[in-house]
Amino acid sequence: MYDTSRRVENAVTPNDIKIQARNVQVYYGDKQALKDVDVDIQDKTVTAFIGPSGCGKSTFLRCINRMNDTIPIARVEGEILLDGEDVYDRRVDPVQLRAKVGMVFQKPNPFPKSIYDNVAYGPRIHGLARNRAELDGIVERALRGAALWNEVKDRLAEPGTGLSGGQQQRLCIARAVATSPEVLLMDEPCSALDPIATAQIEELIEELRTTFSVVIVTHSMQQAARVSQKTAFFHLGNLVEYGDTDDIFTKPRDSRTEAYISGRIG
Amino acid sequence: MTDMPLSDTAAAPRRKAASLLKQDARTRRRNAAEKRFRLYGAAAIAISLAALLVLLATILTNGAGAFRQTYLNIPVALDAEVLDPRGNRDPAEMARVLTTSYGRVLDAAVRDTIARHDIRIEGLSDDDIGGLISREASAQVRDRVLDDPGLVGQTVEFDVLTSGRIDGYFKGRVTMDSAERDGNTSPQQLQLAQELADRGEMVTRFNWDFLTNADASDQRPEAAGLGVAILGSFYMMLVVLVLSVPIGVAASIYLEEFAPKNHLTDIIEVNISNLAAVPSIVFGILGLAAFINFVGLPQSAPIVGGLVLTLMTLPTIIISTRAALKAVPPSIRDAALGVGASKMQSVVHHVLPLAMPGILTGTIIGLAQALGETAPLLLIGMVAFVRNYPDGLPGGLMDPASALPVQVYNWTQRSDPAFIERASGAIIVLLVFLLCMNLLAIWLRRKFERRW
Amino acid sequence: MPLSWALFASLLLATAGFLVGRSRAFAVAGADSRVLHSRPTYHGYSVALTALLPALAILAIGTILRLMDMVPDAAVPVVGILALLAAVAGLGWGVTRIGRGFQARNAVERMVLGLLMLCSLIAIVTTVGIVLSLVFETGRFFQVYDWKTFFFGTEWTPRFQGNSELGIVPLLWGTMYISLIALLVAVPIGLFAAIYMSEYATPRIRSLAKPAIEVLAGIPTIVYGLFALITVGPMLRDYFAEPLGLGSSGSSVLTAGLVMGIMLIPFVSSLSDDIINAVPQSLRDGALGLGSTPSETVRQVVLPAALPGIVGAILLAASRAIGETMIVVLGAGAAAQMSLNPLEAMTTITVKIVSQLTGDSDFNSPETLVAFALGLTLFVITLGLNIVALYIVRKYREQYE
Repeated sequence: MYDTSRRVENAVTPNDIKIQARNVQVYYGDKQALKDVDVDIQDKTVTAFIGPSGCGKSTFLRCINRMNDTIPIARVEGEILLDGEDVYDRRVDPVQLRAKVGMVFQKPNPFPKSIYDNVAYGPRIHGLARNRAELDGIVERALRGAALWNEVKDRLAEPGTGLSGGQQQRLCIARAVATSPEVLLMDEPCSALDPIATAQIEELIEELRTTFSVVIVTHSMQQAARVSQKTAFFHLGNLVEYGDTDDIFTKPRDSRTEAYISGRIG
Repeated sequence: MTDMPLSDTAAAPRRKAASLLKQDARTRRRNAAEKRFRLYGAAAIAISLAALLVLLATILTNGAGAFRQTYLNIPVALDAEVLDPRGNRDPAEMARVLTTSYGRVLDAAVRDTIARHDIRIEGLSDDDIGGLISREASAQVRDRVLDDPGLVGQTVEFDVLTSGRIDGYFKGRVTMDSAERDGNTSPQQLQLAQELADRGEMVTRFNWDFLTNADASDQRPEAAGLGVAILGSFYMMLVVLVLSVPIGVAASIYLEEFAPKNHLTDIIEVNISNLAAVPSIVFGILGLAAFINFVGLPQSAPIVGGLVLTLMTLPTIIISTRAALKAVPPSIRDAALGVGASKMQSVVHHVLPLAMPGILTGTIIGLAQALGETAPLLLIGMVAFVRNYPDGLPGGLMDPASALPVQVYNWTQRSDPAFIERASGAIIVLLVFLLCMNLLAIWLRRKFERRW
Repeated sequence: MPLSWALFASLLLATAGFLVGRSRAFAVAGADSRVLHSRPTYHGYSVALTALLPALAILAIGTILRLMDMVPDAAVPVVGILALLAAVAGLGWGVTRIGRGFQARNAVERMVLGLLMLCSLIAIVTTVGIVLSLVFETGRFFQVYDWKTFFFGTEWTPRFQGNSELGIVPLLWGTMYISLIALLVAVPIGLFAAIYMSEYATPRIRSLAKPAIEVLAGIPTIVYGLFALITVGPMLRDYFAEPLGLGSSGSSVLTAGLVMGIMLIPFVSSLSDDIINAVPQSLRDGALGLGSTPSETVRQVVLPAALPGIVGAILLAASRAIGETMIVVLGAGAAAQMSLNPLEAMTTITVKIVSQLTGDSDFNSPETLVAFALGLTLFVITLGLNIVALYIVRKYREQYE
């Protein structure tokens, strides 16, 4: 329904820079997984990371909310600024950071709890609601925001694991949205879903960007072209090219980008 | 999309746009809770490790003494009139002379030694002098003389065991204070021992006899050894090895590779995992009722202990063997079947050799468990006091014997505190055996690391 | 071993059978062994097995009957000769089977498969043996003693001259009290140790602490028993029981419970470790990605997800505690009494099984037979716990497979 307006909108939205990455290096043990990544990610924009498997796109995504901290051998150098503050500063608590930078994972991973408790989990741990009514409000808004409310409003007490794959992934998005993050990171959110569920998620991403800065890692170039305004192409740990999605797909400057989007490497 | 417009979502309550560099109060609280939680975890690990250390330290400090023993070196004049009244040096005749006579000879030898060194102690009684050496000593001398009747009439140097209290004095277990209150010793006796030790006649040295002697009665802890128990345990382990490995491996192969999925195999599987968790003492009752009362095997025999332990070990071996078989990738079976091998050939030629390290490791661990098992053996009569070594194999399997862990239990039931030292020493021996078996298992696992 | 000569001869016959069978197969085949269905070696094995198996069966049955005094001494050689005749007959029959079309490999494999199957039945035979031996003797006990008094009697005073009070209630009380204390020690420590190792510990610490805790599991229970007897018991008596005036015995419920708790730590922690590690990493990532701290992740996501498995593990630990013998024999004491004071000596079912069945037992007196009834009660309780626990753990594993 908004396909017609989409190109225009892309062109006119003026965006502040939300995340600035400078000279980011990531090592897994002795192996360097990411080299010299510099990128500016804009607010209220969908930025897609594309590239062949193992190119470092997911690694970079997980750097932004410091999920790489959970891997003992991972080491990050350089700086990633969120609103001008380095997320790798020693004073930064990753817990607080992750409340601001939410994440949706490749495989839907609802907790083995009720739908309501899944969505209410973030607000509860961060103390966002003063009472039950407020929490109910947050849960409802998040589920509406994830376009799931109408499907689940009558069975909020049922386990989240009982939903279909696409519903589970939207539940995970609602769960992330409920914490009111400023940035939403999505790591191949549709790779485990069928085409119909994928289309629903893509529509949702389009809506989410009115509120958040969305960064999505995807395997599918078509998906990147459909949902994003900015695209970054990673190859063998390097950020090869970054720019407007239309430009990357129609007139790539780098030969590797061209080779990838035309299907010769990948 | 059918849900309400997203502009509402934007109105969701937002946290104050705080700097990431400052922790808000809630985060500080949560981080404190985090630290506490982490501390509980570290404390749990620390408590477990401390328990392990205290346990091992207690056993080691209590048991180390069992490996050292105090001996008195004295020249004994083997008086022919006492030891060979007929004077014909016939061992059969001499065997009629009882140990009490030898005791008198030894008493005299001790007095001589005291006189030779000119030791004078106020209030030293005859009992103190007689009680200096072990009651076992006379038997020691008697055995030596019966072996070599030619010794009679000569003066021979003997290393005789001292009594448990004297031995305890040199190991710090008995003190002058405790001797004051002790009916079995006296400060004067300890003083005498000290004088003899100062003159080099009494020495404390490594105690091989602890590993080779048989058990001894309540009054002579200094002579008690583990020989019969080690041999008994060894016999039982042989029985377990010979029975449980072939049966266990065969059962595992059948269940893992051949068994159809039906009720019978389901029952067998549930059965095996339940048997692995049945209390060991129940196996003891089974052994008593089935092997001793029903079949009529003798009590205290290693064969019965071995059978009971086999039944206990089988589930362990079957479970680990099945895990080892399961770990062999199906592609290897397919490859063998693909070149026309029968199912049995693919298992015997390919799967079994690859699973062998896992099977061996599981078997050793099962055997180690069996070696340390005590409770069922109590019920089949292995607590009995056994002075005689069992025969060689296979007849010895039917002879009464003890077992290492049972010997430990046995010694804890004795009243003389010197037996606690013996029991702890026996545990050290047991733990050394277990350690060796586990190291062997680890070595096997390392050596045959998976090759696919 | 009166029949070992027959066994030895049967083995010799089997070896001969192997050689005869193989050479005969070669002879039948002539120049080209490919005309045979099976390779000559299999013909050899086939003959060896047909000779050996019947002989072994006869020897095994003969030995058992002999031990049960159903075969007189004089008849032993007859059994041996029977076995040898069977071996010879088997050998002859095996040799006559050899021919071009004879499927020797299939025949051998069928026999081996039969043997494998027989071995796997031993588990059932053991269980049946346990149940029969317990039920049969318990039945005899209830013929001479009233079952109601046994199950509901609160007095345990066995007397040699008869007229004993044999109520299980005080034993059950001691068993449960000690197991409860053991679980109170083992479950928190074991669980927290497992959580620390799977969620916090660096690989280095994990590689040191995990084997060290597993060492605790490899230590025989008699060692724990001695530890209770010579260290923990006197310590509790000197520093707690006597100063507080709560008792004067080194053996006590607390002694046995504490030591048993230490013994169960590795059991709880390794089971919980497996179960916690089975919770998919994606769930942890989901919680961490929302900004929960690791401890919140564990408490609110990992533990609830792992709860059924952990409950199963605790039930298994409880069944261990109830059936444990050596620690209570050496640490708990022998006084059958019901008291709430944990510093008093009490006794358990397993202690009484040991004390009624060691020494000279008269297998017709209720004082001895009661041990079988106690054993059956113990078996039923632990079996029930095990079945429930294994069911829960298995269901839990399926959930994440």
